[in-house]
Formats: sequence, C-alpha cells, structure tokens
Amino acid sequence: MTAPIPVTVLTGFLGSGKTTLVNRILSENHGKRIAVIENEFGEVGVDQELVIGADEEIFETSNGCICCTVRGDLIRILGQLRKRRDRFDSVLIETTGLADPGPVAQTFFIDEELKEHYALDAIVTVVDARHIEQELVASPITLEQIAFADVILLNKIDLVDAAQLRRIERRVRGISATAAVIHSRNADVPLERVLSLGAFDLERALALDNAFLEPARPFEWAGIYQLPAGRHALQTGGHDHDHEHEHDHGHGQQLSQVDVLLLPAADANAGSIDALLEQATAIFETQAQPAPPGSVLAPERRHRLQLAAGAQFQIESAASGCWVMFTEHAPVEFGLRLMGAVPLQQREFGSHHHDLAVGSIGLTDARALDPNKVNDWLSYLLQSRGADILRMKGVLNLKGENRRYVFHGVHMVFDGQLERPWGADTARRSRLVFIGRNLDRNELTAGFESCLA
Amino acid sequence: MSAAPGRLRPRARIELGDYPVDAAWSGDGRTLAVAGGEGGVLLLGADSCQPQVIGRHQGGVLAVAWQAAGRLFASSGQDGIVRLWDARSLESSAIHTGSEWSERLAFADNGRLLAVASGRTLQLFDPKGQPAHCFPDHAGAIVALAWRPKSSEIAAAGNGGVRIHRLQPQTGSRNYPWRGACLSASWNADGRLLAAGMQDGSVHLWNIASDDESEMPGLGAKVFATGWSGNGRFLAAAAGSALLAWDFGGKGADASRPLELQAHSERITALAFRPSGSWLVSAARDRRLLLWRVGAASEPQDAHLLADDCTLLRFSRDGARLAVGDARGGLTIFDCTP
Repeated sequence: MTAPIPVTVLTGFLGSGKTTLVNRILSENHGKRIAVIENEFGEVGVDQELVIGADEEIFETSNGCICCTVRGDLIRILGQLRKRRDRFDSVLIETTGLADPGPVAQTFFIDEELKEHYALDAIVTVVDARHIEQELVASPITLEQIAFADVILLNKIDLVDAAQLRRIERRVRGISATAAVIHSRNADVPLERVLSLGAFDLERALALDNAFLEPARPFEWAGIYQLPAGRHALQTGGHDHDHEHEHDHGHGQQLSQVDVLLLPAADANAGSIDALLEQATAIFETQAQPAPPGSVLAPERRHRLQLAAGAQFQIESAASGCWVMFTEHAPVEFGLRLMGAVPLQQREFGSHHHDLAVGSIGLTDARALDPNKVNDWLSYLLQSRGADILRMKGVLNLKGENRRYVFHGVHMVFDGQLERPWGADTARRSRLVFIGRNLDRNELTAGFESCLA
Repeated sequence: MSAAPGRLRPRARIELGDYPVDAAWSGDGRTLAVAGGEGGVLLLGADSCQPQVIGRHQGGVLAVAWQAAGRLFASSGQDGIVRLWDARSLESSAIHTGSEWSERLAFADNGRLLAVASGRTLQLFDPKGQPAHCFPDHAGAIVALAWRPKSSEIAAAGNGGVRIHRLQPQTGSRNYPWRGACLSASWNADGRLLAAGMQDGSVHLWNIASDDESEMPGLGAKVFATGWSGNGRFLAAAAGSALLAWDFGGKGADASRPLELQAHSERITALAFRPSGSWLVSAARDRRLLLWRVGAASEPQDAHLLADDCTLLRFSRDGARLAVGDARGGLTIFDCTP
C-alpha cells in the first residue's frame, strides 16, 4: 500500500496573504508536485495543471451534529485525484476567508475512503498582523481559524510596530498554545515550515510552550530587580529602537492604562517569582488604585498606570533589596523601563485575554494512565463537550505499554495510535492539550486524574 | 425457489497500463470503453486481450457512457472537455460544456440525448454534440444521474435532494428536497421508485407515483452505492462492509427487515446487479469479488480473489459478461452464467 498523501489546509481571512502564499508554492522551484484545490477560484494562476476549482459544499447530517459535517466537494475531488498515477507529493487546500476549518479537517477523520489515501498534515492559518485585532472583534471565524491551526503565519509584520506585534503574538498564543507561530512579510516563508510537516509532529508541538500548562494569571510578566533604598523612576512609552517602522504604523492601538504590582522578594533567584505567584494573583483581584503620571507607587498594591505619552512614575524602595514587579501586559507593549536597573530574572505567563472565549488548556502528568479509563473519559468528553472542543492533541503514558499513544482530534472525532517506544533517556510523561470554547481547567484536570492507573 | 449455483468464470486479466475509473459496454456487449485515471480513453473487445488507447484527456478521465444501441460513446476528463466518440471510425468531437469537471455522463435509453453533470449544472446534448437543454443551479453538485425507465425524465441527485427533469412533451422540473447529501441514485424497473444512498448512513426512497417518501436509516456508514435487481424486486445498498437488500416483492420494503448479505470483512467498493434476475456482485477492500443470489441464499454463490481493490463492476446489457477493474491497473472480464 502506498503511503498516504499529506494534505495541508490553508485558512485565513481574505487579504491575509493566503493567495500570495499559494502562488509562491506554485511558482517556487521546490521539485515537488503539489495539487492545489482552490475555493476562491480565479485568484491563483489557473493555467497550472494541478489547480482545481472547488465549490465549497458542506454535507450535513440529519441529526444536525456539527461534528459530523464534512466537505463533499473535497471527497469527490480527492477521490478522483488519487486515481492518477502521476501522483503528486502533497495536496494544498485553500479555503475561503469565511470558511470554518472544522468540516475540512473532519473530512479527513470521518471519510473512510479519504482516510485510506490521504492524511491531514497541518492546518496553516495566515493572519494579517495589521488587521487581526479588528478581525478578532468582528468575526468569530477568525478566532476559530487560529484555534484550529497547527501553524500560524503571522504575515505583514512590516506593517506593525514591535509592541503591536508582541501583543498580537500573545493574543494568538492565548488562543492556541500549541501552534507554531512564524513571522513573515509578503508570505515569504520557507516552504518546509508549512508543507509536509510530518503528520502533526505532536511531541514537538506539545513541547513548545509550557505556559499553557499552568492556570492563566491576571498578569503577563514578572521581573526581579535589585534596588538600592530610595526612589526610582519608572518610564513608560519608549520605543523599541530595533524596529525600523516605529513611527509609521500601529500607534492607533497603544495601551491607555496598565496594572502594575511590586512585591518584596527573598532573593534574585527565579524561585522568588514562583513563591509570590499566589499572593500576586490575589492582589490583582483587588481593586486597582488609579495612578496618574508622576504618582509614587507603593508596594503590595495594584496600581493602574495612566499611560499618557512618555508618562513617568516613581517607585519607593524603603531598603536596599530585591523586588518583583508584576505587569498586566509585557513591558515591551507599553515601553516600560525602570531607570538604572535591569531585570535579573524575568518570566512570562499565559495570556489572560478573557475576552476571548477560545483558549488552550494543557495537562501533564508523569503517572501512568489506565487505557480503559482514558477511553471512557475521552468518549464522555467528546460526547458532552465535542461541540466546544475545537482541537485536542496528546501523547499518553499508558500503563503496561512501552510505546507512546499519540492522538489528535477535531470536535468529536479523533484518531490515535501507538507510536515509537519511550526512550531510556526520556521521562514517561503524558501531555494533553485542549483548544476550545469555555474550557474548564478544573473539570478537565479532574477527568484526567480519574484515568490514573 | 431453487438455488442453482451461479458462476463467474474469469477470462484473462488484462493490463490496461492505466487506472480503470469508469467503464461502459456497447449495447451488443462486444466492446468495452474504459476511462483511465491517467488520461487514456481505451477500447477493449470482449474477446480480445489487447486494449486500444484511442485518445486522451489531460489529467485523467472521469467518466464514460455508451448509447444503449449505437456506436456512439462519450468520455469526460479533468481537462474540462467532454468528447463524443464514434466507435467505428474512432473519430471524436469535443463538446465544450463551459465548466470545470463533468463527473457524470448518461445516455437516454433511446440514445438521442447525452446528459452531462458538471458541478451544479445538468446539460443535455444531442448525438452531434449540440446543446439541447440546460438545468443550472441545483442545490448541490450533481453526484448521480439516472434516466427514468420508460419516460423522458432524468433524475439528478446531490446534496439537498433530487431534481427530476422532464424533457418531453414539454420541459419541466420537479424538486424533491431532502436535508442530506445523496451519493447515488437508481430507479426501480417500472420507474415508480427512486432510491438514493445518503451521506448520513441511510437510504432514501421517493415514490414518485404516489408522492410519498421514506427512509431506511442506521446503516452505520455512508451509503455510496444502491441498485435495483433486474427483476425489480430487491433494492441493495452498500455502506462500509455492510451489504443489505430490501425485498419489495411482498408488502413492500417498509414491512420487511432487510436481508443482510454478510461476507465482506472490509469496506465495499463496488456493487452491481445483473440486468435480469436477482444476481448481485459485490467487491470490497478485502479484495473479494462475490456473487449473490439475493432472496434465495444468504451465502455468496461464487467468490474470486482480485489483484487489488475493485474500482468498478459493469455488466453487459445481456448480463452475460462482467467487467471488473482493479486499482493495480487491470481489467478482468468474467463470463456470468447463472
């Protein structure tokens, strides 16, 4: 039997750079034969032999379950293409800007015939860095396209400044913690980073970012400073001078306020930040004190800095020692500098964009799991929460099994298999991530722990 | 009912050098036109072992159809072209449908019209390739065409149900909407009942004469193929590895449990009734080709192992020959002697 043909699904809003990327893939001399299925026909050079126009057609089932919808046009077209002996190396499906990626992805899990010949390799979402923040507000589809992605191409980064780029990247990460985020201008990206990635390299994806394994915090950043006794100037609104376009773009979306907290630390080791996390979280839940420019910021209080242009504040250190500063947004986003001091240690935390109902929750545990219990739990979870779970990925440490169990799913459907053995030098550790709407970490953790062997 | 053992006797397996996507017998059963997935349009004499490549479509051939009585056949390809072929002179003319892929072709029984389904549009052409009718804007892409027996009507099925177009005495269309995606469509012998296999694992049945409809749900997988027995009594459907047949002989299918024809262990890929009697052939990913006598025996009457997955099963009109295509690029002609 021949190996399945890898399929890349390309999503993204109209104007994000999808078509530019497709045209690059078609014209670049990469030596691969790639069949392109186009839902917005006419944008891509149609004289290409392997560009096929498709009329997006969603097959719904009579029970109305969104998890059972598939793309009928893809089943028909891919069914025909596989009969050509001059087989292509991969397939690229460009969806319309408004397409929900769910049915496209589900097609490759549900349709038996397609599963025999094709394998979903990755969902690549192209994001227009300049417009993404407005689109996230205006269109829930944008949120879903990011949530479904394995690779997010953050395109047109030359049209935003460093602070905006960072903010966008954090927002995107807050939606999908496992996607690989690639920056590009004019969709110029090495093709090996978007095509034929190798059947969802899950372990790499799950190892990318540890922040999502922890509860979301109300602050994004913490840094330890060593300060002599006395007053210190806290400057805001500076520019990141690495960025050549600082004066041209993106200044319409500057932050107008930001919450900051100072706590005394035991020492300058990173552990000092960990030791203060619960205390800082509790203080961030108290009411913030308004702090106009020039204010003196007392420790152990939540201050809301009013960010006028170049606003400066003072912090008071009663005695020489170590302090941890917690900030609601990362310092680069509002140009924060503590004059005459640099952070000796710093740490970032999971995004707290609670305005986005879609987010990622990761779970990890070294204890072995009972395969039957896992099966029961996942079945229950997908039945009860399948509509809200957009993507699910995991590597499981099963009791009595020498190999890793690797799975991924879309809504209510998933595929899993035993893969390579746990190596002698790698710890046996399960890692799961759920990306979806209104996910409850406590509920997922309790379910996961009920599967322990 | 006696159950005389039927037999399928293979002749040589013929290497096509192409993937058999579709095939159509000439009315006299002496020649077979084959659509090659690699682009070849092939002709094969029933007694010959040497296929003849008579033309090509760029990209791949999608479908072929042959007049019931005549020397004209048609092919369509991924190049977006439909060709009409004269089997005697081997000359062809191109029909420009003005659209992308034409995935389904079907000649009317009298051979005077060729139906071409391209996306959501159904077009009809005369034997000279001149346009005769056009029915655009179907609810979904047309995935199955079926001429209604003893009439000048054609059913076009797809997502959202079926439309039946009447061409004589005057043109008209009726819509039979259904909230699901049809994958196949077939008429019973007297043209009263139209059965469609559905994406949601059901068979939908329209009684066009009485305007009733009914549904046989719960087949467990999409129903990609349906067919009526030559004697009009049985409706068969394939879904996954399940093969079911409903008996319409007594009080009707609603009153009877379907017969379960259990023998395949993997997904069924092709299904065909012999044009007379109740003989059925099925083939699956288990590479077994099975002959059934539906209603008379629950076990297959004959079995053969194929070289690869079966891509098509086509009986000649007299039922004497069966063409079996396989994914390795071969075609085997069987003599069928019930």
